[in-house]
Amino acid sequence: MTGLIIANLFVVISGIVISDEINNFEQKTDKLHKANLTLEKEVAKLSSLNFAQIQAKEYGFENASAPQYIDQLKFAHR
Amino acid sequence: MKIKFVFLLFIAFYLTIIVRLFFLQVLSSSDNKSPYLKTNKLYPIRGRIYDKNNQSLVLNQNSYQLYVEPKIVKDKDMLINSLSKSLEVEEASISTKLDMTKYWVSIAGGLTQEQKDKVDKLNLKGIGFDYQTKRFFPEASLSAHVIGFLGKDDQGEDIGRLGLEGFYDRDLRGLSGFVETERDILGRPILIGVQQRVEAEDGRDLILTIDKNVQEISKKRLIEGLEKYKAKKGCVITANPKTMAIVALVCLPDYDLEKYYEFDENFYKNLAISDLYEPGSVFKPLIVAAALEEKKIKPNDTYNETGQVAVGKYNIKTWNDKYEGKISMTRILEKSSNVGMVYIGEKLGKNNIYSYMKKFGFGKNTGIDLEGEAGGYLKLVPDWYPIDYATVTFGQGIAITPIQMIRAFASIINGGYLMKPYLVQKIISKNKTTEIKPKIERRLFSQMTSDIIRKMLVSTVENAEAKWDRPKGFKIGGKTGTAQIPIKGVYDVSKTIASFIGFAPADNPKFLTFVVLYEPQSSQWGSETAAPLFFQIAKDLIVYYNISPGQ
Repeated sequence: MTGLIIANLFVVISGIVISDEINNFEQKTDKLHKANLTLEKEVAKLSSLNFAQIQAKEYGFENASAPQYIDQLKFAHR
Repeated sequence: MKIKFVFLLFIAFYLTIIVRLFFLQVLSSSDNKSPYLKTNKLYPIRGRIYDKNNQSLVLNQNSYQLYVEPKIVKDKDMLINSLSKSLEVEEASISTKLDMTKYWVSIAGGLTQEQKDKVDKLNLKGIGFDYQTKRFFPEASLSAHVIGFLGKDDQGEDIGRLGLEGFYDRDLRGLSGFVETERDILGRPILIGVQQRVEAEDGRDLILTIDKNVQEISKKRLIEGLEKYKAKKGCVITANPKTMAIVALVCLPDYDLEKYYEFDENFYKNLAISDLYEPGSVFKPLIVAAALEEKKIKPNDTYNETGQVAVGKYNIKTWNDKYEGKISMTRILEKSSNVGMVYIGEKLGKNNIYSYMKKFGFGKNTGIDLEGEAGGYLKLVPDWYPIDYATVTFGQGIAITPIQMIRAFASIINGGYLMKPYLVQKIISKNKTTEIKPKIERRLFSQMTSDIIRKMLVSTVENAEAKWDRPKGFKIGGKTGTAQIPIKGVYDVSKTIASFIGFAPADNPKFLTFVVLYEPQSSQWGSETAAPLFFQIAKDLIVYYNISPGQ
């Protein structure tokens, strides 16, 4: 009889502990999911053309220079 | 006696409990679930949209809906004042929503994490947040018409409207799941209770053929063009002519994707796929290609351009009413001679003209993967008057969309293949990647016809009557167009649609770009408005694609 009561108590307490852990993991998963979305957004912002334009302006690369092409080569230079 | 009374009292007490339990567990078991049993819907994450280089165009972001439970609120004025300051909205706006007779009232949706944290710090009683996700656009409204937006259906659920969001809504939205679990009073799962979980399936991601850099170039140049030429609206479409993969598609005016609901619905219309117009002279190369293919003309055949041509009671003339005498078929394109085109049309024949209109797919949707496409209408043979066969040779009297025009034009320069235009090249789900390959609808021209028409179009650019600031050393082919706009059955000469369609490098085209400007005011001619804009874009693309001169 005492054994049964102890076993019962053990099962109930274990159940509570495991439930707590599940709850904890659920909260962490949720937090990670939200953090993932936030980070994805930040990365996208940093690789956007808009951000590149702001940076280019800051570093003075605003005006693209016209490329100079060499004439088509007729023979190989040594 | 006392013992009997207590005994009966206990009997009555237990009977009451038994009856109540019987009522709850047997009679009401089907509609009353355990108060501990919680069922939550698991929302899928909507698919993301990337450009061809895997750069993000549409993502999801955390968002919160702020609600108030008025029955718990003690100081209404203090609550309104605090929320107003924290969210930076008018007090009146919150006050109107806050109905104290209700149990639950939504105050604001779409709050960011930062806004939520700010409100959280106020420690207000009777408020709460519901978690949601909403769309995030790293490139803002760079591709508004291509992307579309999320609206609400009858049940208040998100639904994609227009553009890719509308066309690929079923792929993007994913499938909802649910979790049914018995929880104790602290919200912890009861392990011996009901535990059932069906995972949500997230939406599929789309990888586009759009290149956001080309899109940016196109939009920037189109904005400049609309201002410079004082045009009402305009479009730039750039495609790979071999596959009809759309690399850029911009139409202006457009709308703000974040605040689409603040715009009139006219702004939602994607002119490139849903606006029917008469194309004008950009149409001429299609008829010339058909005549070459049917061996009715050769590039060096001559036509004696002596003056106006009468078709029934109408007189057809050149744009400047000047005539050069004997001219080649190539010269007809170079000087965009309407009378010359009527001659080519006569050589081609009415049946062939109509047959090619059908083969080009006019009057039907191209099948582009964007919601909102209009196919137009191709008149049946009995409805064609002799004048229609004459005017269609120079692109008047037929209504098509810009996307139909660029597709038909691609077929004459890519070896003769009419391709299905498309914007999505990959659909990625958790376990599978589906690649969408270019689709040939049919072959209309031989390689030889295609090679000849490309050379004629290069000559058209090099010997056109207008001189443009072209990128030096590069072979570019193209054609101008100036179409008059019919208003109540009469052409208004002051209102035109100016266009230019061109490709480079001419021998092996890397890009085909179509520029359309609606009602330009600085000049009505395509050669003075759309063409310079095209060459500006072409210069940028030549640098971007690293195309060397001489190609």
